[in-house]
Amino acid sequence: MARPVPVPDALTAPYWEAASQHVLTAAQCSQCSAFAHPPDDVCRSCGTLDPGFAYVPVRGRGVIRSWTVVRRPLVPGFDDVAPFTLVDVELDEDPGLRVVGRLLRSGDGAPAPIGAAVAVAFEDIAPGVAIPAFTLAGAP
Amino acid sequence: MTSHRFGARNRVAIAGFAQSPITRHADTTLGVLTIQTIRDAVADAGLTMDQVDGLVTAPLFPSVGSHAATDGHSLVTTTWLARRLGLDPRFAADVQGQLPVSVAIAVNAVASGAADHVVLHRALHNPRGQYHASSSSQAGGMAQWSAPQGFFGPIAAIAMAYNEYAHRYGIEDGALGDVVVEARKNGSKLPWSYWYGQPLTRDEYLAAPVINDPIRRLDCDLPVDGVTAFVFTSAERARDLPHRPVHVTGYSFLNGTLQPPRVPPHWPYDDIMDGGRQGITTLWEGTGVGPAEIDLPQFYDGFAPIVFFWLELLGICGPGEAPAFVRGGGIDSDKPDAVAGLSGGGALGNGRMHGTPQMLECYLQLAGRAGARQREGLSLALACQGPPHVGGAVMYSAEAF
Repeated sequence: MARPVPVPDALTAPYWEAASQHVLTAAQCSQCSAFAHPPDDVCRSCGTLDPGFAYVPVRGRGVIRSWTVVRRPLVPGFDDVAPFTLVDVELDEDPGLRVVGRLLRSGDGAPAPIGAAVAVAFEDIAPGVAIPAFTLAGAP
Repeated sequence: MTSHRFGARNRVAIAGFAQSPITRHADTTLGVLTIQTIRDAVADAGLTMDQVDGLVTAPLFPSVGSHAATDGHSLVTTTWLARRLGLDPRFAADVQGQLPVSVAIAVNAVASGAADHVVLHRALHNPRGQYHASSSSQAGGMAQWSAPQGFFGPIAAIAMAYNEYAHRYGIEDGALGDVVVEARKNGSKLPWSYWYGQPLTRDEYLAAPVINDPIRRLDCDLPVDGVTAFVFTSAERARDLPHRPVHVTGYSFLNGTLQPPRVPPHWPYDDIMDGGRQGITTLWEGTGVGPAEIDLPQFYDGFAPIVFFWLELLGICGPGEAPAFVRGGGIDSDKPDAVAGLSGGGALGNGRMHGTPQMLECYLQLAGRAGARQREGLSLALACQGPPHVGGAVMYSAEAF
């Protein structure tokens, strides 16, 4: 079975369009410039009901705040890659911007290094569909 | 300054209870089990069914997998129940959220006079097949941010929260085993528990399979079929009923409303603690009671790390100190002076009963009905529910004050 593919909606279509081009973006409120992941109909930062979230490209750099190794995937399509590592990444643009994705590396099963720098990478899982993930970036 | 004192403090009491057997799969449907349990609870309170004029539940089927929910089978609503109990209740509410929300609704219904005798039940169902597994090949809505990335289900979420905590404070691997062994020790003595007669050793714990590092299967409560029911009435009426009343002093709940925007169920450690701290302020202000005055807390333990989080949130331990405290016997129910926060077995020692083991133990201990594990000199108990930022707490008192 294939991995689940994201179903973009009106709010998120630009994100997935950029991802398909291997560009990581983050939603930014048009009124107060606060980032939000995920975006919402209301900006939690300034309270506007018309946030007009725009997806702006981000560097795709961050640090690992936490991790886990998934040994028994509960979603289809991951059995071939299990065990795999998930990381909770704080993006450089904003300490509140935390994104969870796979850490693509060999030797899965060991702890991931909390505090280590990572860079975004993309997994092409279907034609025109790319999923953000991360790789260890070494020294910045 | 506005007073945030809870106006119904100690005005409503629990008068009786019933606990069904907790099994992997019940012999009857969940609805039938619920009716049996409610009949037992009403009789335990010294009442008859025609005196019940209020029903409250959170009809929740908490699997995030691909199972359909059916009333009377995978959950039990008040409407389904009322019809089959032959009741036309003056008050009925099917609420969302953790157990403190249901308790709050039941208490406020009695305090306002909306109903005189409210039955609160929690019915949990374990479907056939893998509990959380999803077969969906399309991830829309919030799932678009998690499932395609391989991030799925609460076990991965709590694993990441715990790793962040363990890294920050240098907690050694295996520390969670002390929590699980204590819960199973206590649960093994409860006749209704799934784990009755089945204590666990630390070696057995360490040999259990890891699901999402470092969370082992035994760190997670087991999906079960089971029902718990409580009868609420006014403190005044409760005094004339057979059992010693246990008063509801106050409650707090948060439901994650103060959490920053996150992809559900992403729970960074600081979100859990910051949200929990803000949420429980309502309880201290509402009751006029501080955490140091609690004689017996009961900690939610649907995932073992949550016990450490509650111990630190209540200030029983400093940040990062809970694992050493537990390792040193700090919550050991065999010690009269311990903070016996899992004396009721918790969810790890009963099965996935969603906070009712904590509530039940507070009730039984304060009512003097805890049998061989009865603790002495208790006035105030605190049922701590859920991960603190999405849960809450309910305070119970032996005396009305």
